[in-house]
Amino acid sequence: MHIHKFEKIWLTFGIGCLIVFLSIVGVSAFYLGNQPPSCLTTIDPETVGEKAPFDKPGLNKVEGKEWDYELVYVASAFSYNPTQVEVPLGAKVKVIATTKDVVHGFEMAGTNINMMLEPGYVSEVVTTFDKAGEYLIVCNEYCGTGHHLMHSMVKVVE
Amino acid sequence: MAKTEFNTKKKIKVEHHESDLRGTLASVFLLGFFIIVTWVSVWMLFLDRF
Repeated sequence: MHIHKFEKIWLTFGIGCLIVFLSIVGVSAFYLGNQPPSCLTTIDPETVGEKAPFDKPGLNKVEGKEWDYELVYVASAFSYNPTQVEVPLGAKVKVIATTKDVVHGFEMAGTNINMMLEPGYVSEVVTTFDKAGEYLIVCNEYCGTGHHLMHSMVKVVE
Repeated sequence: MAKTEFNTKKKIKVEHHESDLRGTLASVFLLGFFIIVTWVSVWMLFLDRF
């Protein structure tokens, strides 16, 4: 089969790009252990708020874990509990959230924290809060008539 | 009886025209680099934010 020299060049280039892009995703998932926020951790949505960690929403210091704090949120129509949290700058935090009723969103504007909260599932993300400022948490999944009122605030302070 | 003669020995020469693919090469790489630049810039944005 005759392939033009230029065709060989762009086929190599295209296949090379594909290998690089997929390798980055593969390394992220299988070597760095990145996973989707909701990754098979389940909870009974009827009893959210009774059992740990959702009995103590807010920022909780933890010992002996890979992260320093656990930031626990319970979402329900149409609010987040807690409504305001202060996080020390540079803290490694595991954000743990779930919903009591319907599907809610959990987007911390201007950060990579963006999860869907589904009834019966726990969504988690670990991150280091390394930029001071105020970060608004908004619901980005339409959840009912009060959807646009649903928000919370995180202050990253020194 | 006369045999029908096929002209089997004559080689048919296929004229192969090498297409001019310089423009195609340029547009493929233009698109390729555009995809790489946008992909990398989104990735950098992802790495920069917490």
